[in-house]
Amino acid sequence: MTVQTVAKDSLIGKRIAKLDAPEKAAGKTRYIHDINLPGQLHAKILHSARVHAKIKRIDTAKAKALPGVHAVITAADVPEQRPIGVKKDHMPLKGDKVRSLRDEIAAVAAETEEIAEEALKLIEVEYEDLPLLTDPTKSREPGAPVIHDSAPDNVAMVFDYANGDIAKGEAESDLIFEDEFSLHYVTHACMGVSGVIAEFDAKGNLLLYSNTQVPFLHKREFADMLGIDPGRIRIIQPPIGGGFGSKLDIYPFEPITLFLAKRTGRPVKMVFSREEEFAVSPTRQPVLLKLRSGVKKDGTLTFRECTTVHDNGAYTSWGATTPFVMMQTVSSLYRVPHCKYHTVAVYTNNPYAGSFRGYGNLQATFALEQHMDKMADALGIDPLQFRLKNAQDPGEVTPQGMHFKTCGLKECLTTAAERSGYVEKRKAYAAQRNAPGSIKRGVGMASMLHVGGGAKIYPSDGCGTILKLDDFAHVTLMTGASEIGQGSETVLAQLVCEELGVPLESVTVVNNDTDITPWDVGVHASRTTFIAGNSAIGAARKARDKILAAAAKVSNLKAEDLDLRQGQIVRAADGQVIMSLSKMLRSLHFSDKAELVMTTHYYEPPSVHQDKEFKGDVSAAYAWATQVVEIAVDTDTGIITLEKVTAAHDVGRVLNQLGIEGQIEGGIVMGQGYAMTEDYRVVDGRVVNPNFRDYKLVTAPEIPEMDITFIETMDGEGPQGAKGVGEAPAICMAAAMANAIENATGVRMTKLPFTPENVYRALKEAGK
Amino acid sequence: MTAIDKYLAPTSLAEALDALAAGDCTILAGGTDLMPQSQAGRVKFRPMLLNIRRLPLSGIVESGGAIRIGALTTITDLLDSPLVKAKLGVLWEAADHFASGQIRNAGTLGGNICNASPAGDTLVPLMVLNAEVELTSKRGSRRLPIAEFFTGPGRTKREPDELLTAVVIPTPPAGFRARFAKFGTRPALDISAVSVGIGAVVDGGGLRDVRVAFGAAGPTPMRGRMTEEVVEGRKLDDATLAAAAKAAHDEVTPIDDVRATAWYRREMIHNLTRKVLADVARA
Amino acid sequence: MSLAREITFTLNGVSRTATVPVTMSTLEMLRDVLNLSGTKYGCGEGECGACTILIDGKSLNSCLMFAVDCDGRTVTTIEGVAADAKSQPLRDAFVKEGAVQCGFCTPGMVVQATHVLAKNPKASRDEIQRGLEGNLCRCTGYKKIIDAVESAAKECV
Repeated sequence: MTVQTVAKDSLIGKRIAKLDAPEKAAGKTRYIHDINLPGQLHAKILHSARVHAKIKRIDTAKAKALPGVHAVITAADVPEQRPIGVKKDHMPLKGDKVRSLRDEIAAVAAETEEIAEEALKLIEVEYEDLPLLTDPTKSREPGAPVIHDSAPDNVAMVFDYANGDIAKGEAESDLIFEDEFSLHYVTHACMGVSGVIAEFDAKGNLLLYSNTQVPFLHKREFADMLGIDPGRIRIIQPPIGGGFGSKLDIYPFEPITLFLAKRTGRPVKMVFSREEEFAVSPTRQPVLLKLRSGVKKDGTLTFRECTTVHDNGAYTSWGATTPFVMMQTVSSLYRVPHCKYHTVAVYTNNPYAGSFRGYGNLQATFALEQHMDKMADALGIDPLQFRLKNAQDPGEVTPQGMHFKTCGLKECLTTAAERSGYVEKRKAYAAQRNAPGSIKRGVGMASMLHVGGGAKIYPSDGCGTILKLDDFAHVTLMTGASEIGQGSETVLAQLVCEELGVPLESVTVVNNDTDITPWDVGVHASRTTFIAGNSAIGAARKARDKILAAAAKVSNLKAEDLDLRQGQIVRAADGQVIMSLSKMLRSLHFSDKAELVMTTHYYEPPSVHQDKEFKGDVSAAYAWATQVVEIAVDTDTGIITLEKVTAAHDVGRVLNQLGIEGQIEGGIVMGQGYAMTEDYRVVDGRVVNPNFRDYKLVTAPEIPEMDITFIETMDGEGPQGAKGVGEAPAICMAAAMANAIENATGVRMTKLPFTPENVYRALKEAGK
Repeated sequence: MTAIDKYLAPTSLAEALDALAAGDCTILAGGTDLMPQSQAGRVKFRPMLLNIRRLPLSGIVESGGAIRIGALTTITDLLDSPLVKAKLGVLWEAADHFASGQIRNAGTLGGNICNASPAGDTLVPLMVLNAEVELTSKRGSRRLPIAEFFTGPGRTKREPDELLTAVVIPTPPAGFRARFAKFGTRPALDISAVSVGIGAVVDGGGLRDVRVAFGAAGPTPMRGRMTEEVVEGRKLDDATLAAAAKAAHDEVTPIDDVRATAWYRREMIHNLTRKVLADVARA
Repeated sequence: MSLAREITFTLNGVSRTATVPVTMSTLEMLRDVLNLSGTKYGCGEGECGACTILIDGKSLNSCLMFAVDCDGRTVTTIEGVAADAKSQPLRDAFVKEGAVQCGFCTPGMVVQATHVLAKNPKASRDEIQRGLEGNLCRCTGYKKIIDAVESAAKECV
């Protein structure tokens, strides 16, 4: 008899294709838009025609009389509705007044979408206009229109953080810089528009098909609103056509659809049009930011003071809370002894802001990294050296309480600089600034720090896993973490394969049904690989222990001398096969003890909730990156061509090379859009470009060459050493572009976006 | 809800002209403008929807000193035509910058003209080429210089019973060179903030038969007569270039809209005119 | 109700008859009348390419095409492309090169890439980028989509 041996076959770090890609490439994946339930009605919402007005009268009689209409509801019809959002200042249906043009006034459920739309036209609304408040800098002026009676000062939220003593920092400074930065609106523009389907069964239990990124948090809120036990709500998440933070809050269309389903006793489907998606969806927070920075002649940072006004819009969603992240960048991206941070988020009649990949960090980094260049130039130090001098080292605990157990910033800086030729190019381009010709070249650098091990915003930041093996050694992994296109399903399967020595085809991931999957706080904060990954590993290790303990008994070897490889139980030392895993599982099942291998694990990261002063180690790990951009500016038109991006990211460890490259590339291009092409224009409270014609996403011919290096710092807490990376790549781009524009032209632009007209105007104003 | 009570998809021109003579028609060709505009309520359907796509009105033929392009010729057909590339390079350039591959496959030259957008991508090169539009009705056929065809945004001199059947372009004279530049950050899929087309016969000393046209610089695409005058017969030195750019800047009447301010459009007309003119002279 | 017309056309290789309102788009017909959900609605204005289909072998935005105009023509959707063994290398390349993330743009990308390669099997990287300029993607940054089409093009040659 020949002795069979098998080698360890690891998937970690390989280029693993996404498990769901074949279905998607064949057009077989069913998104929420593709699901139709028997007897389903279609819902549409009547949005406000005014930006700020009292509602004097709503008459729905004609709409109700239209054949095919099953229900028309207004605020008066749904006394059970409760305010939603981060500050609970947002009623789904508005009865007394509208505070922005997106406001929901009435909703219709009808046999077809066309009938529902026709019914909307028959609803009569009488308004009494109120004065507009669309400039956030005027929100707190005496006599400004009041948006919410509950906040007569128009202040939605205030954030204050400080460490050290700014006066002392000022006294120690040889140079002090102060600038104002202005960040614009952009929006997620997911390719799949928003949608939801709600159905109540005969017992009054709710089944919701939803695109939410936070199903478990939604259950509680919906239950409160419906006055039912949250256990009676089941949320199924069909594949999502893009998330990026846009599905992290409850939005009015969701409870409105529930109300319609409840009233009609039929399944009700609500899907937006693209125009509605643009007009109604959350945005990235527009911010006015003042930054003061001090530095000693030797290049040591002394203090930073950051003050921002966040345009909250008419209601409070996650956008108002981005200071959580912004203050981390201000206090801790570089070592700075004295720091003060202040944000006031004010109400206006503008669209309201939600969470968006990067969560305030694009805005903070835009300001901070421009100041780093400015200070370096004033001191006559190369910006790379200046950054390296002030960069953190592994093991440091910042005054804000963030503990950088792994920190690859210095390696990111030197890698990106060397691979791009940053230092030489920057000198050469500055020297060519006044040469003849309209094309000017520039290079710019920016770095970033972002949570990479979850973010303890809620009391828990954990994720549960249930894992079962069947008689054929097929693994079903039930995880609380949703897949939103980012590839978490594939990475979780890989991590399980690593522990159980099974091929990828043997793993099925179930991640889309709250009746089946265990609790998870939601897909956000670049946390899924880290948190859900650790949770999956925990469950897999328990299964492995159980299997090896049983195998030890039959093989007369110690469990620690055994291993699982390629579907076999083997002797660890030489890979000699003892028996197949499936046979082992069957022998457990069909034995006297009759046992199935099923395990559970709940992972809660060792992070802490911040105290009232915003101090604390909110994440179990932190991600770092440096990006260098190379651009050409045409001074005749203001058109910038982004030629190359050299990125170095500390990701802890690469789990799936293909997947992580996709995340970085997609983030870079999203950051490019933020910096250069995307501009969600709000004029007097009205979105004037609610379409892809004038809201310009980057297209295939516009992308830069990308050179991406992964710095593997092997985080001790991370799954196989990995850290979260989803948001990081979008964060540096605008800051690096601003620095590159300065290098190319000598003009420093502190206002986004860098559209041709804005760039051209800035050059003209600077006399270029 | 639509008030369409008749839909016709004729296969012969005679049938189509009968239908046009008989009633109030919305003409459908590629649909790339009509569909979004009607769905957004910017265009109201007339009682008859007349789908002309099955008429034998496509093709590009040169004869008798002119190139005739059928109204249903798609933008892709223009791009794929060696004749257009060789003799009407400025039109080919505009076609290459037109919307996207999918829209170029569906959109027709006649549709782009009749849509009469001030920013219509083919209109500027057609003006530079001194194209004429052929309008046909039961009453007969007539031709109009394209520069005279547009009366305002979305408005033309086409009578309700007329069909734009072809564009006729005099084969450009020997030595004629023309260039087109559309302002935008993308190769295509951009609605022009402005566009500039310039053509001229370049011989040793200077530029003759100068033709200048601007897109998105006024209510209709326009010929730049003042700019033409400045350049006509002159040698293209720095002073002429500067004078031409200034004339262009002064003769356009752009507006502020979501895509650009009037100030920026004028600046771009100025800078692009200088650039395109230099390209033409250098070509 | 609006005026409707009966039309007959070849859909993914099979002759079909459908009755459609004359103002209905081909996208609506495919999704709502014929229950083919692979073709996606992204914008309804021809700006995003998610609804790309082939008509007589040429790609166009089904949201811009009047359904009645399908009469007598050959319509191929992602379902038809996916059933065609010749497209297997392209779809495999999308999977292998990581060109798929949320996947919502993917059917339109695959159909447009099919057209680009059918028209120019030796398409260069630049030509592929231009060929995909009418298809928006919010997740991938396009690089891996271009890689996928390029690798499929190499395989064709």
